[in-house]
Amino acid sequence: MNFMGNSVSRISIKKAARASAATALCTAVLALSACSGQSGESKVAAAPAVASGPADLGTALRVRLITEEQYFNTLSYVFGPDIRLAAHFAPMRRTEGLLQGGAASAGVTASQLEQYQRTASGIATKVVDPEHRNLLVPCKPADEKAADRACAAKFLKAAGRLLYRKPLTDALLAGIVEKAAANADQLKDFYAGLGIALEGMLISPNFLMVADRAEPDPRHKGEQRLDAYSLASRLSFFLWNAAPDDFVLKAAESGEILTPKGRAKVVDMMLASPRLTAGMRAFFDDMFAFDDFDNLAKDPKVYPSFTGVTVQDAREQTLRTVVDHLIAKKGDYRDLFTTRSTFMSPALAAIYNVPAVPSWRPYEFPEGSPRTGLLTQISFLAGHAHPGRSSPTLRGKALREVLLCQTVPRPPANVDFSAVENPSSTIKTQRERVALHLKNPVCAGCHKITDPMGLALENFDGSGAYRTTEKGESIDPSGSLDGKAFTDVVGLGKALHDHPQLPQCLVRRVYAYGTGGPTSSDDKPLLDYFDKQFAAEGYRLPDLLRTMVLSEAFGEVRDERAPAATSAAAGAAQR
Amino acid sequence: MTKQILFGAVALGALIAGAAQAADLENVRGGRIGYVLTTLHWATYQTAGAKECPNGFNDGPREQFKILFPEGKRKYSLMETQIARESEGWHPQADNDHGFTFYEPQTKIGLGLNLDGKVGPNDFTSPDGEQGIDNQLYRALGCVRSYRDGQTANDFFDNQEIQKTSYNRSMFEISGVDSLANDDSVEVTWYRGLDALMTDATGENVVPGGSQRIDTRFGKKFIQKMHGKIVDGVLITEPTDITFPWATFGLPADELIRGMRMKLKLTPTGALGLMGGYADIDMWYNQTMRSESTHHQSYGALSPPSLYKAFLRLADGYPDAKTGKNTAISSALRAGFTQVYVLHPDQTVAGDMGTDKQTDFAPVRDAKR
Repeated sequence: MNFMGNSVSRISIKKAARASAATALCTAVLALSACSGQSGESKVAAAPAVASGPADLGTALRVRLITEEQYFNTLSYVFGPDIRLAAHFAPMRRTEGLLQGGAASAGVTASQLEQYQRTASGIATKVVDPEHRNLLVPCKPADEKAADRACAAKFLKAAGRLLYRKPLTDALLAGIVEKAAANADQLKDFYAGLGIALEGMLISPNFLMVADRAEPDPRHKGEQRLDAYSLASRLSFFLWNAAPDDFVLKAAESGEILTPKGRAKVVDMMLASPRLTAGMRAFFDDMFAFDDFDNLAKDPKVYPSFTGVTVQDAREQTLRTVVDHLIAKKGDYRDLFTTRSTFMSPALAAIYNVPAVPSWRPYEFPEGSPRTGLLTQISFLAGHAHPGRSSPTLRGKALREVLLCQTVPRPPANVDFSAVENPSSTIKTQRERVALHLKNPVCAGCHKITDPMGLALENFDGSGAYRTTEKGESIDPSGSLDGKAFTDVVGLGKALHDHPQLPQCLVRRVYAYGTGGPTSSDDKPLLDYFDKQFAAEGYRLPDLLRTMVLSEAFGEVRDERAPAATSAAAGAAQR
Repeated sequence: MTKQILFGAVALGALIAGAAQAADLENVRGGRIGYVLTTLHWATYQTAGAKECPNGFNDGPREQFKILFPEGKRKYSLMETQIARESEGWHPQADNDHGFTFYEPQTKIGLGLNLDGKVGPNDFTSPDGEQGIDNQLYRALGCVRSYRDGQTANDFFDNQEIQKTSYNRSMFEISGVDSLANDDSVEVTWYRGLDALMTDATGENVVPGGSQRIDTRFGKKFIQKMHGKIVDGVLITEPTDITFPWATFGLPADELIRGMRMKLKLTPTGALGLMGGYADIDMWYNQTMRSESTHHQSYGALSPPSLYKAFLRLADGYPDAKTGKNTAISSALRAGFTQVYVLHPDQTVAGDMGTDKQTDFAPVRDAKR
């Protein structure tokens, strides 16, 4: 494990991953808990296993740092929601549109490790404190002032399995129990010893790092696949944004998860679980780059109604809308960009200029409203605007990059912004302002691909509030998107809804997120297959998730030492 | 040619009228617009240097205590000093202020409304020349430091609590609005609200566009209707008895203004002006005693027994049927309101999106209350 480096080569990751199977705890470790947050969720009748998909190289072995949310989700499921602390870890580096992609190239600095240690200490202390120990520790020590190896082992074995996402080997468990015992005797406190052992487990690479491990694939000679525990973790962190629960781990322990039928059973249970909501909220929070909202602020003199609560609620509104539409209603993904259904909070209502009762309530904008789809929600409008004014360019750029997976080039380093930053006082509207871009050939190339659709959102100011005029001038919200012209934002929503790259972009983001790294051109046949399946299934996210995670490619391992074409051909030839 | 010019002029006129009408109806939904109370002060006319109080300000509890119980004269008991003065504050009589001199403002100028439609010898003239202003409460409060605008704890905290404490949430909704500029007949309903106010990032400034549920728990006590009209953007209502909550420092208290009428300049985002009427003396006094403890009274030089005696002397309305003594005093309040959506109990709520459209409330799908 390379805790200090900023990046690790895939080969070294691969080696590290293999080596990590035998990694011992790096610090003193002592205790263990038995209660698990096993979902035991609804026993869903397994749907038929889907087609396994085309031949594919699979994915590279990766070691990923778990995210802050994965960290606390997992601990909440294992020890209960009140165990959470107000701690924050260093953000990941956004890679190919996703923070999750950066998790595979994240290092851990000394200060980050200190933060992990401090958090682990706080959590371990809570787990064994008098308020929690009777519930979380499944036995009582013979003497609270001395070591009790049997009781400690009972707790540490159960907790360790859930935290490390696989059973602890006897040797590893024995070492942790001895640490717990030594500390208990030294401190003359069984629970203090147990807490120190748990603290050690929580800063172990076995917990903090999700390492893919490979094994020979018996169905495809010469190829490799994820081992059962790695597959369980990949599924769980993808679908639940948390470590696997007891049900999933049992399927890994029995090997059932490696069979098509067994994997389908596990996947259907996971898709039916309430934890899917947390998983998909995390995905869309990542895809929509809502981490930027941690630093989003508006000029209070220009937008007095836009406050810190607005920022939080705008993010929450979009996530609620997405999850409700895609998961609860199993709606068409593309309809997210035309729907008038959402959720409303009082803070948002002040900007939407509608009444609202306290707390979150379902809300539907009336027919004929320009508020149609995610583009017209405050999260998109305010999130892609300047602190004191709207920005057709930022909005158009976000539309292309976030929703269509296109890349808009960065402005040249020597670009002269003076014409747009300090325009003539005779310029009233953003349309007039951005038109200045088109007069400069250096600017025009990119602005032609961002501004025409961004201008369709000009009926919404930088806070997301609706307006029909700007500085006394009527706003012209007409525009175009890749050859489709429209007269207003409703037309933009429809054009985006019908844009072929909209669902394709989601497919690429979801697959990259689920497998922990960016897709490549080698994945094109597989992604094309997912595209077709997604379309055939009515663009329903749960169906797409099922198709992806049941594909062979999802669990296969790419041998990076072999040339891609050769490897792919070999794999295809063997099927 | 002439016809063309005429047609053009008519079209332009229609366009302007249409635009004006749209502006007149901004934030008016289904003919209704609501406003929530955000600032409230007793209307006291004052000048720089307090020229209207040539004799200075009235003494407060601290000064009166020193006069009544001079140091070194003899040893006083707690019972005959602090406790006795507290008792006199809570149980005021016409003759229990020990004969202290009470100073009234020496000015003909005052703020308020002409409540009785007459111009009498005790009436004031407004700063803009309107005669017949009835505001005898000003005579009682005008030279009490506690009621000097923006200078004292009482004025500051009473106003602050209007915003900060949901107990004090008062609002009104105008219905039947055809125009915020001119409408010869509108209905106005006072309500008590339930919710905190929506503020900007500083937390100090209330922003328009918030929502307020009506507090129906107390029935008609806090739901009062009045008829009115809008003239040149000013809402003018007919007299109606209005009770509204006004507690400071968490102690519940209400005000009762008999025959209250409003004169408020309306905009789509707020309302500002005067509310005038006859304040019920006992309710007023009780509200003050419950809201301001002795140390606040001392800081503001507000002597309740002296004030009560002044009230009895100056009261000019609503005589008691048995005693014939007036029970209320003409008064005025400077009030500010911010536009708010008033949510009715039977309304699953909510509306449309634009600020330039007039739309009835549309039901919310699956809304649960």
